[in-house]
Amino acid sequence: MVTPVTALPRSSHSRPIRIIRPASFSPFDLWGGLRELWQYRDLFYTLTVHRIKVRYKQSVLGLSWAILQPLSLMLIYTVIFSVIAKVSTENVPYAVFAYAALLPWTFFSSSLTNATQGLVSHSQLVTKVYFAREILPLTYVGASLFDFAVASTFLVALFFYYGVRLTAYALYAIPILLLLAALATACSLFLSAMQVRFRDIGVAMPLVLQLWMFSTPVVYPLSAVPLRFRGIYAFNPLVGVIENFRRAVLQGVAPDLYSLLISAIISAVLLPLTYLYFKRVEATMADII
Amino acid sequence: MRKLLSMRKRYEEFWALKDISFEVHMAEALGIIGHNGAGKSTILKLLSRITTPSSGEIMINGRLSALIEVGSGFHPELTGRENVYLNGSILGMMRREISDKLDSIVDFAELRQFIDTPVKRYSSGMYVRLGFSIAAHLDPDILLLDEVLAVGDAAFQRKCIERITDLKKNGTTIVFISHDLKAVQQLCDRVILLKNGRIEADGDPNETIDLYRNSSTQLSSQSTDGFAQEPSREAVVTSLNFYDENGNECLSFETGKPMKAALNYRVDKPLRDVVFEVQFYSQEGRLRSFFTSETLGGTIDVEPGQGSIVFDCASVGLWPGMYFIDAGIRNRLAPYGIDIDWRRRCLAVRIDYDRHLRDTFYMPYICRHSPPPILAHEWPQRSTITQHFS
Repeated sequence: MVTPVTALPRSSHSRPIRIIRPASFSPFDLWGGLRELWQYRDLFYTLTVHRIKVRYKQSVLGLSWAILQPLSLMLIYTVIFSVIAKVSTENVPYAVFAYAALLPWTFFSSSLTNATQGLVSHSQLVTKVYFAREILPLTYVGASLFDFAVASTFLVALFFYYGVRLTAYALYAIPILLLLAALATACSLFLSAMQVRFRDIGVAMPLVLQLWMFSTPVVYPLSAVPLRFRGIYAFNPLVGVIENFRRAVLQGVAPDLYSLLISAIISAVLLPLTYLYFKRVEATMADII
Repeated sequence: MRKLLSMRKRYEEFWALKDISFEVHMAEALGIIGHNGAGKSTILKLLSRITTPSSGEIMINGRLSALIEVGSGFHPELTGRENVYLNGSILGMMRREISDKLDSIVDFAELRQFIDTPVKRYSSGMYVRLGFSIAAHLDPDILLLDEVLAVGDAAFQRKCIERITDLKKNGTTIVFISHDLKAVQQLCDRVILLKNGRIEADGDPNETIDLYRNSSTQLSSQSTDGFAQEPSREAVVTSLNFYDENGNECLSFETGKPMKAALNYRVDKPLRDVVFEVQFYSQEGRLRSFFTSETLGGTIDVEPGQGSIVFDCASVGLWPGMYFIDAGIRNRLAPYGIDIDWRRRCLAVRIDYDRHLRDTFYMPYICRHSPPPILAHEWPQRSTITQHFS
């Protein structure tokens, strides 16, 4: 047998001690997971930049794709809801009304669509290297946030065209956006982990997202929803987020704090739960992916 | 101390590893060998946290890096430089650390002039060099190595071994899991032999490797991958040996160089129209090439007794890497899968190459140069050259 060899002095970093045990799940794992996620922050950054780069490499239209997606939806809905069927938009031109909500909605839906496939499309990596796997779905949320920033420049252009003036309430857009990002993250974590086991998730996503969009005030105002449905309607966490984003940015009025609170509570519950679920699936992911 | 107990897979209960316990000391180089399916890669996956054990405990003291498949995080559209950042951060490096080491990584990989070229234009050798170079700069306390050294040309492999030896001298603990017995012998202070998910032997490299060698060349005394020998066989493959050009027994060859395989068999009752085969499978389990006695033409009938068949290959055409060997006897007219005796993955052979090999195929050729007398007036005009290339 070999006797231990005394190591030569090496680089100054201390030797962390790690104990690997069978996966057991308690809320205390949350802290350890987050600490590790922080250690991988550079990977998050590099991968997010990489997503953005790869997406627009060898494409003629490049970055304008980020605008084209909500823009084309906006044009379709403008034709449907302001030419064919008239929807009251409280004296706001329908085009800018729809775009102001399609912008956050596109961020949410493209995060989910891409993140759901995120782990499975990287099975090569997942089975070969260990890293905090939540990075993969998270980078898709990050890349969608970048697209959101690009697409908002067109919203600014629309504001100029229609002479919409921003008010101080527009600053509410920042916490609202954070809330939306938290919801997108929670859903992405859950769906990407589910997709590893059940590929049905990816197939169902387009349908689910379509239904979800129509049960959110994106192409119509919240005021168009009959009062007796509002109670159930408000349980869709996106209702408060999307409606208030539009109110703050476009209409320049104070957000409805009650509906925002519902969204905030839902995401505060979902985020740790989905994260724990993800970590639980992560333990055996490499064997079943 | 590290303790590995087990790992359970879904569906049919199967313990890839059971009752395994071992320690690796600081600055020690441990080799883990064993047949395919013995549990080697499961150990690696557990140590590197790719998967989690279903029971037992592993304690790791220090920063651990696993080099399981070089370049597995590469994106073909991105340049070499971008991939260094991407792959480096996947392996756990910080951006600043990568920036500091970038020059050294590029120089080690000998890719300075191609570093801003998308890696989809790299040859496989370049790909591997860049991948290994990134990993070699990780500076971990513990380094896990898989079959990584089985790829790349001979000169680069030597460089890799040197690098690993340097790391070891500086106190890095190394766990090396491989079929490549030569490299294991060269690198390791201690070797563990795994068999069916359990530790068969643990100790001196030479002794353990000899034990493994004996169990793999004398086929009659082993059951590979659970393919136990049935007693009622009409014929059995008793051994399979490979020889180099000088007639020495050998398990590593070079593309373009000769190779000889000798299959010994014992027949218990007369058999009509049989075929002997030796097959080469890649690490991913794909059949890459094979030797068959059908090339003799006619039919081979065998009488009871011992015999042997030799396949003499003048020039190995296999691409560098590790290959797993199947050897067997079957009836020529029987459908595939129904064999008289078949030894699945009974050996591992390593193929190397020298620098002048690129892309996918090896074609043996001889190059001759007879320079014509060049006269000044025959030189093409500059304009013609430009035209030709535009």
